[in-house]
Amino acid sequence: MRDIAFRQQVVTTLLLLLITFGLWFTAEPLFAAPAKWLAEVLLTTWLPGIVSGTISEPGALLIVTHFTDSNGAIALASTGEDGLAFRLNTRLVSYAIPFYAALLWGSRVASPFNTFAWGLFVLWACMGIGLSAMAAKDLMLVIGEPFLGAAWVAPPPVIAVSYQFSVLLMPTLAPVLLWVLQLRGSPLWTRLEAQLESSRNRE
Amino acid sequence: MSRFLFIFMACLLVLFTLELLNPVQANLIQPFTAGLAWISASVILPFDDTVISTGRILRDSVSGFAVSIEAGCNGVEASIVLIAGVLAFPASWREKLLAIVLGFMAIQSLNIVRIVSLFYLGQWNYDIFEWTHLYLWPVLIMMDVLLVFAIYLRWLSRSGETVQHA
Repeated sequence: MRDIAFRQQVVTTLLLLLITFGLWFTAEPLFAAPAKWLAEVLLTTWLPGIVSGTISEPGALLIVTHFTDSNGAIALASTGEDGLAFRLNTRLVSYAIPFYAALLWGSRVASPFNTFAWGLFVLWACMGIGLSAMAAKDLMLVIGEPFLGAAWVAPPPVIAVSYQFSVLLMPTLAPVLLWVLQLRGSPLWTRLEAQLESSRNRE
Repeated sequence: MSRFLFIFMACLLVLFTLELLNPVQANLIQPFTAGLAWISASVILPFDDTVISTGRILRDSVSGFAVSIEAGCNGVEASIVLIAGVLAFPASWREKLLAIVLGFMAIQSLNIVRIVSLFYLGQWNYDIFEWTHLYLWPVLIMMDVLLVFAIYLRWLSRSGETVQHA
């Protein structure tokens, strides 16, 4: 009985991945929009002297800075002059959404629409922070000292670890953690808790 | 459950930060990644003798197409997630060690399938290669981690039942 429930979860999730990835591929700008907005708010509030704004593009977010390239050196752009900009691939973080959707819709959870909506908000927050970490890495490499010397900017190793974490782990780990927490009350959760309890007693 | 999540996150952050340290990268991760490229080439060679592995690079000697196995492609991050989960879940050290060794092998086996598939997808269609590489395979590898962890939990509960019956 147990095995059937888990096998069912795996097979359903794999099948749902085809549908959710298809939807995400066709409508990524829609799914990523709240995270892009959050990244803009975070970056312009955190670094008002460095980032002047963002421009949303399909599958990407353009980060526009107050700086320009003057004969190979980074300098503040004069009034009316276009600032340096760099493009972030938003799909690198937004594929967390189809993965999460497949995991959740493949499980038997109470009030799935409500649960999914809450999960989306959490994922958008993670994605917004992830995009900010990606932007921080690019600012560190492109703008350099003016960025690293600004207030509330973490040391380079912290920026590097945050970037790696945001790109390599967050998009696949956040959906799994969220899904596990939202399973509370479901048959899978009850099983997991029982196993945790029996293992603890055995220790 | 909250204790499990706390230990899991702590182990994850420590192992992930350790993995990024230069000495660990130079002495452990890079040689391991080069080993993965060599194993992938060895898997392909009986069917296709045009493949060559040099360090972390897998190259087709005819088309000139090459893939370099970088951070995130060597399955180390996925293994770290599994190790953190196993360490956080209560069990004996022998059971944990066995789960880590076998789980690591299971993840790396699928990772070799991933590297080989990407090597051929890249020669066929670059757009599909990029999409599969960046978005689809990371999800499948994480599903593999989940599956391995679920099998470990089942094994733990079965061995627990055996102990109780004995």
